Amino acid sequence: MPLLVKVRSFLRNLFSPQSREDDLDQEVRSHLDLLAEENIRAGMSPEEAQRAARMELGGIEVVKEQVRDDRKSEWLRSVFADVRYGARQLRKNPGTTAIMVFTLALAIGGTTAIFSVVYGILLRPLPYAEPNRIMAISEVTTRGHLSRLADPNFDDFRDQNRSFQAIAKYSDGVVSVSGASQPMRLQVAAVSTDFLKVFRVQPIIGRDFTGSDTKKGAARVVLVSNGYWKEYLGASPDLSESHLKIDNALYSVIGVLPAGFQFPRDVALWLPADLDGENTSRTSHNFSCVGRLRDGVTVVQAKGDISSIARRIHDTASDQNEYLLKDGAVLPLQDSITGETRSPLLILLGAVGFLLLVACANVANLLLAQASVRERELAIRSALGAPRRRLVRQFLTEALLLSLVGGGLGVLGAIFGVAGLVGLAPESLPRLDSVSINIPVLLFALLLSTTVAVGLGAFTAVRTTSRDLRNALVEGGRGQAGTQSGAKVGRLIVAAQMAITLVLVIGAGLLGRSLMKVLEVNPGFRVEKIVAMEVSLPGADDPKAKATQAIFFSNLIGRLQQIPGVQKVGAASSLPLDDNGLPDGMFLLLNQNEVPKNLADFDALFRQKERMGVADFCVASRGYFEALQIPLVRGRMFDERDGADSPHVAVISESLASERWPGQDPIGHTIEFGNMDGDLRLLTIVGIVGNVHQYGLDSPSRPTVYVDLFQRPRSAITLTMLSESDTKPVASSARAILQELDPEVPAKFRTFSQVYSSSLGSRRFNLILIGFFGVTALLLTTAGVFGVMAYSVSRRTREIGVRVALGAGSREVLAMILGQGIRTILIGVAAGIAGALALTRTVVSLLFGVTATDPLTFTAVILLMIAVALLACYIPARRATRVDPLVALRYE
Amino acid sequence: MDSAPTSLLQGTLDLLILKSLMTGERHGLGISRRILQITRQTFHVKPGSLFPALHRMEEEGWISSFWGDSENNRRAKYYRLTNAGRKQLKLETKRWDRISWAIAQALEAS
Repeated sequence: MPLLVKVRSFLRNLFSPQSREDDLDQEVRSHLDLLAEENIRAGMSPEEAQRAARMELGGIEVVKEQVRDDRKSEWLRSVFADVRYGARQLRKNPGTTAIMVFTLALAIGGTTAIFSVVYGILLRPLPYAEPNRIMAISEVTTRGHLSRLADPNFDDFRDQNRSFQAIAKYSDGVVSVSGASQPMRLQVAAVSTDFLKVFRVQPIIGRDFTGSDTKKGAARVVLVSNGYWKEYLGASPDLSESHLKIDNALYSVIGVLPAGFQFPRDVALWLPADLDGENTSRTSHNFSCVGRLRDGVTVVQAKGDISSIARRIHDTASDQNEYLLKDGAVLPLQDSITGETRSPLLILLGAVGFLLLVACANVANLLLAQASVRERELAIRSALGAPRRRLVRQFLTEALLLSLVGGGLGVLGAIFGVAGLVGLAPESLPRLDSVSINIPVLLFALLLSTTVAVGLGAFTAVRTTSRDLRNALVEGGRGQAGTQSGAKVGRLIVAAQMAITLVLVIGAGLLGRSLMKVLEVNPGFRVEKIVAMEVSLPGADDPKAKATQAIFFSNLIGRLQQIPGVQKVGAASSLPLDDNGLPDGMFLLLNQNEVPKNLADFDALFRQKERMGVADFCVASRGYFEALQIPLVRGRMFDERDGADSPHVAVISESLASERWPGQDPIGHTIEFGNMDGDLRLLTIVGIVGNVHQYGLDSPSRPTVYVDLFQRPRSAITLTMLSESDTKPVASSARAILQELDPEVPAKFRTFSQVYSSSLGSRRFNLILIGFFGVTALLLTTAGVFGVMAYSVSRRTREIGVRVALGAGSREVLAMILGQGIRTILIGVAAGIAGALALTRTVVSLLFGVTATDPLTFTAVILLMIAVALLACYIPARRATRVDPLVALRYE
Repeated sequence: MDSAPTSLLQGTLDLLILKSLMTGERHGLGISRRILQITRQTFHVKPGSLFPALHRMEEEGWISSFWGDSENNRRAKYYRLTNAGRKQLKLETKRWDRISWAIAQALEAS
């Protein structure tokens, strides 16, 4: 069996090389003897016979090596030999090796950690069946932004499209749920019938929604998440007795979804969306939409399909105004979830890639320095017949050893690093739970280490073996002339390193300056000493229930004010800087006698530009402005006059006043903003307050209309308590008061400082990471400059000694060495400036208040770089001035 | 005429070695001399080519080796054809016939 023979030879070569060697040796020697014998038979003298035999054989070792080369498993054996030899080389310089391994570990570990975040968020497929077929469907607004869908538009998309096998709308929010155990604020999604079909998910117990569950007035049913079922329903397989009170209505649990299904994020319960009927407006954008493509339909085709339906709606709808959709959009769901985080994450990956390059440059320089010491050894190996490829392979093996060990350590570090990254990451980052060190990430790390090794190894090998190695033997160990080009390459590497570092540090500087600028922004309110309490009552639509809510909140605010230490209590529909945001819409400038009788007339009014305005809508109590210290600019705040039955009033932001009533006094004007809360009563503007950065310090403040909580009550509000005392006792007293007023209403507490700080989360995250990369790169580069200069000084000791002996003063020597360093630094800095000018454009989206070429940042960073690099040059240069010519000439 | 043969077509050396072992087992020098003889002094296979080829062919399973005594009672390593080797010889012979015929045709073409 030839195959068996082959395998046996392979194993024997691998595992008993010694007996194979002996056998080969004997065979070649016996051949020599036979040759000699033959020669003697031909009549030569024994000596002559031996000589001729050797001539014909051509060198015992050479023949043996030729046989070895042809052996099976020879490659593996020689790889082992290379590895052993390489490891010995690396052990010879433990200090340098440790530095190289550590540098590579840092760089590979850092890159792996960032890649794991990029992979988990951007690349890892969503955990659903054929996730790339699931699309997010949106309306496109007149301004070209993506927007959620209005009910009738969704119905048209659903009924008229030819691209989706299942399509569903959903919206999620926090509501109070009681019944299973204590009242809780839970993330709940309202979904249409086919929601689970889009994800190809089926309940593990019970059943999915059917068309009859989701009709208006159907019996109320709910699906629960696996986690909720286990924690609050005792994981009972029998759901017939499970009922939940959600927003004051009783729901029967009909099914449990599989573990791991979490869409939208953090949702615990799914309810049918239209139990109370659909909203008939085409401009109330209340639902997100997902769909699963039919087989064979492409995203582009689906986009065209939805787009044509959307444009048809646009052309034919009766409510023609600027909130009517202009077009439709279809995006893969994954892209839609991760869209906003894509570019910051890729910037981070780029930054850590730069750090990797800087680290590799250091290692390359160290390897080059080592290789030049080894030139003699290489020359000897080469003279003994080692082919160049074998020497190249030796370098590759050593580089591979280094980077695999470094990469291994780096991955270990990355495991901790990723935990840290996830902890540091802003809450707004989607899919953080999918970030981990997993097989694809490990493969990435392996690939990265190998690439680094091949790069480093090939570079060193080419640099080292390209010269005629015999020169090294001739030159002996003096190593002077031959290293000039080597030193030049070292300096070039350092210059490149400086350029990359400069770009990185400038990037970090720009982000830092941006954060400072953001912090300088006057938010328009106070942040300190505010305890926020989110409360949501069951939803209420009829005026009577709303009046009850107003009384409840009035009582609550009154009681909270009595907590010791609490100075002011206010309430608003949502806190500034919080993720929830405010609803926005169109209002009308109307007089009392102009209020139309029917809806069609409203539509006509909305088409009159001079009557229409756009603003955010915020429900607030009188104490809100005082607690947050939002200043009154003119007119008055809400006060006791503004009871539920007195004329309704509004306070508007300065920005709205100047935008909608330029050069006029808005106070006394009446507006109609009924599409926000269904109350058509006119609002009389009584005051103007300062602008508030509702959507983050870095986004402009938006025109806002505030209405009085007691005139326009709503069910979910955030109370704000200005308190001198500690947060905890205030929170627990407030919780006790709420329990007393209504034990079924849950509350959530935060300090406003927390909200403020988390609103800066992603900015801080990016800055910390890029700053860390920048500082690390700077340290590595400093080490690189220092290393190359010190090495160059030590190689030139003789030369310097000669110069000193010939009369050069220490100043001349210093100038000579520093001059060389400064040239390198200037080349690096110049290249870095060019690179930064070209590359900082990519971070524009992360900047605030500074341009991508901010002269201050550029100047500061350039000066910093030059200073640090000069210092790194100065130390070796000083050492050069102390060279004693006598010692130097005897050097080596 | 001794440097050229080593650069001869790959496989030619294998063919010659297999052929030389057809008539019985031989040691390395024996093989080399036999080839010289059957090629009428054309191919002088040097140890640097012979031994790697022998070891490779042994690993392929075409020939097997054993230690024995030479005519003059010296220990030498002997090689002999295996069944697989005989098959290989047929194969190589056919291949060679085809090549030499093709080359001959090519050279005859005007």
